[in-house]
Amino acid sequence: MPLDQATHLALLAEFPFEWNYIRSIVRVSLYVSLVAVTLSTLCSLPVALLIGFKQFRGKALVTSIINTGMGFPSVVVGLVVLFALSNEGPLGSFDLVFTPEAMIISQFVLATPVITGVSLAAVSSVEQNVRDAAYAMGGTRFDVALVTIKEARYGIATALLAGFGRAISEVGSVLIVGGNIAGADGESYTRTLTTAIQLEARQGRFETAMILGAILVVLVLLVNAIVVRLGSDDGGYR
Amino acid sequence: MLTASDIYHGYDGEPVFENVSLSVTPGEVVAIIGPSGVGKSTLLRLLALFDAPDRGAVEYDGTDVWTVSERRRLELRRRIGMVFQEASLFDASVRRNAEYGLRVRESWTDRLRREFADLVGQRNGTGAEIEALETVGLREKVDQDAASLSGGEAQRVAFARALAYDPDVLLLDEPTSDLDPRNTALIEDAVLKARDREIGVAIATHDMHQAERVADRVAVLLENDIIEVGPTEGVFESPTDDRTRKFIDGELIY
Amino acid sequence: MLAGVGGSATIGLAGCLSSDEDAGDDDPEISGETLTLTTTTSTYDTGLLDELNAPFEDRYGVTVDTVFQGTGAALETGRSGDSDVVMVHARSLEDEFMEDGYGVNRRDLMFNDFVVVGTSDDPAGIGGGDDVEEAFVAIAEEGATFVSRGDESGTHTKELELWEAAGVDEFGEWYREAGQGMGEVITQVDQTGDYTLADRGTVLSMQSEIDLEIHVEGPIEGGTELLANPYGIVAVNPGVHDDVEYDLAMAYIGYLTGPEGQEIIEEYTVEDEQLFFPEAISEEPNFQQYVPEDWEPDD
Repeated sequence: MPLDQATHLALLAEFPFEWNYIRSIVRVSLYVSLVAVTLSTLCSLPVALLIGFKQFRGKALVTSIINTGMGFPSVVVGLVVLFALSNEGPLGSFDLVFTPEAMIISQFVLATPVITGVSLAAVSSVEQNVRDAAYAMGGTRFDVALVTIKEARYGIATALLAGFGRAISEVGSVLIVGGNIAGADGESYTRTLTTAIQLEARQGRFETAMILGAILVVLVLLVNAIVVRLGSDDGGYR
Repeated sequence: MLTASDIYHGYDGEPVFENVSLSVTPGEVVAIIGPSGVGKSTLLRLLALFDAPDRGAVEYDGTDVWTVSERRRLELRRRIGMVFQEASLFDASVRRNAEYGLRVRESWTDRLRREFADLVGQRNGTGAEIEALETVGLREKVDQDAASLSGGEAQRVAFARALAYDPDVLLLDEPTSDLDPRNTALIEDAVLKARDREIGVAIATHDMHQAERVADRVAVLLENDIIEVGPTEGVFESPTDDRTRKFIDGELIY
Repeated sequence: MLAGVGGSATIGLAGCLSSDEDAGDDDPEISGETLTLTTTTSTYDTGLLDELNAPFEDRYGVTVDTVFQGTGAALETGRSGDSDVVMVHARSLEDEFMEDGYGVNRRDLMFNDFVVVGTSDDPAGIGGGDDVEEAFVAIAEEGATFVSRGDESGTHTKELELWEAAGVDEFGEWYREAGQGMGEVITQVDQTGDYTLADRGTVLSMQSEIDLEIHVEGPIEGGTELLANPYGIVAVNPGVHDDVEYDLAMAYIGYLTGPEGQEIIEEYTVEDEQLFFPEAISEEPNFQQYVPEDWEPDD
């Protein structure tokens, strides 16, 4: 059903947010999720490389833990992180409760199994012959790892996108550890798109919630598009 | 200059070699022949310093490579090039494949600088990779995707990849088994060019005619041992070991 | 180029350090600090806090981080020392908070009231009545759907008290515990019927989105005192958590219960109706507000 002019204007007139509010929410969402995914990637890739090419006792167990972690409920992660960061918890002295950094931590925990698991699958599919070739050409173990990552780059990109999707779309953990805080001036401190949507929906403002939801979807599509574009550019500089 | 001495090596408790010795000398092609599964690849991998032998020594110019530091061993390893039965090229351009050996030998600053130059589209190679591609007759395909090459072309690029950094030793593991006669000839031609540059070549093959065409010496690997080694003509026409003759005549069933 | 980057980085750092020192000399210690306030979702949803906090933040140069959770969570966060001051509307729970040693210096802040809202078809026929206990009995007997907060919030606490006062102790399928905030519950009643107990503030602020009627009025509109809904504010005890922002919390409480804060509260309207009634300032102060309601001097 197309929006006729009157409805369109009415929607905008009712729109209670200033551009500043939305911009700050998007900024917080991106900041938290991008940093979390970046940190997670730095940890996940070495782990995936390690696990992928070694046979060790308990490898099946580790792999199934990773796979379980992929679907781990975000609220539970939020609770555990909140407890850890709370004043009374083991990491209380860092004063991280209700900060964006706490949200980064909980999203790191959520994204890592996803990124590790998918990267592991991607990296394992790199043939040993190719790795041997890199080694035989005089590569160090690190060089071989780099080659493996490059060979598995499309799968790894998928892993990153999956991790990012999980992070930016979740609401359970960031709500609990972040507190959904926005300043009196409308500037978001720990309010993300997802927690803002939940807030609007809770108050019955479904249209506003839908608009925020649309922004979130566009954001995810944009990030996907950028990564895919970068991937297809890969052959550009030969 | 690359020598395997008195090698005993096994997998899962089963011996593959019992007291095998072989040397690769500069300016000479030695062919390793034997039935499939006898361990030609294993021997080449030991020579390429992939793994240490269970017993025995692998020496480079007299130095036992497994008794020195990892860094020194890396230096020695980098004087060796290897081509496998499958081309196993990287998912990149022909150029990047050919120059890989050169890149890993550069300092990290140079490597990063090169990556950045690639990103902005400036191409400046050292030329050695181009020369290597010329040796295998593939210079004009330098900017093509490795994945678009035929099997024979890919193997030739793999050869160029190993040749580009001017190794002292070239180890070839049945490099032409899957190739058509034309590409086989191109590879063999490249082998001879390498030999003429004083590179020491060891080539594992089950094609005795190939051995006749390119090898100066032949080593016969049979029943966990090198039962015979000597100048090509001598081994093929008057082998000292009975089993050699039976193998050459195709009488031995394995 | 590296030298240039290094140079500007050093100058930048030096600038930061020196400005910190300057701040220490001239500006009050409080400036730049953050006060963490935990409160209920219904309090936040009315939008009053944004009105209240802005002048306070300006005056002291501080930031108020408002974390709105349920009443239970808000108090629990105070107990763990993760917030500095708590604002809820559940006197019995506030008393427990103080008795357990976690809260000090409680003040009455403001009040509004609860109302019984429901769909216009009013199956239990309670509309227009002023006896909430009777209304609850009618709902139970009719088996009309009643959606409860079910989350131990202030509203939920009041609701349970009312059921008890009404003498209703058998709850069938008509009684649904939503386990969610006031907004969600009101939306649920709006969609699937029939009744709930809600604070007037949330009802008013959602008026344009929903289609419900107030069937039983609270004291503000002349209804029963039983539906009164007082809000209290309590500072977290620095004796239990020595790293809470106690002085800032007290400044905040002082501001809220002082002339400026109370005026903002009085003048705050939603849909042109006053939502809250300030009660902190009086010629005859109510001393009971400072201590648990059943506290005896020799306890």
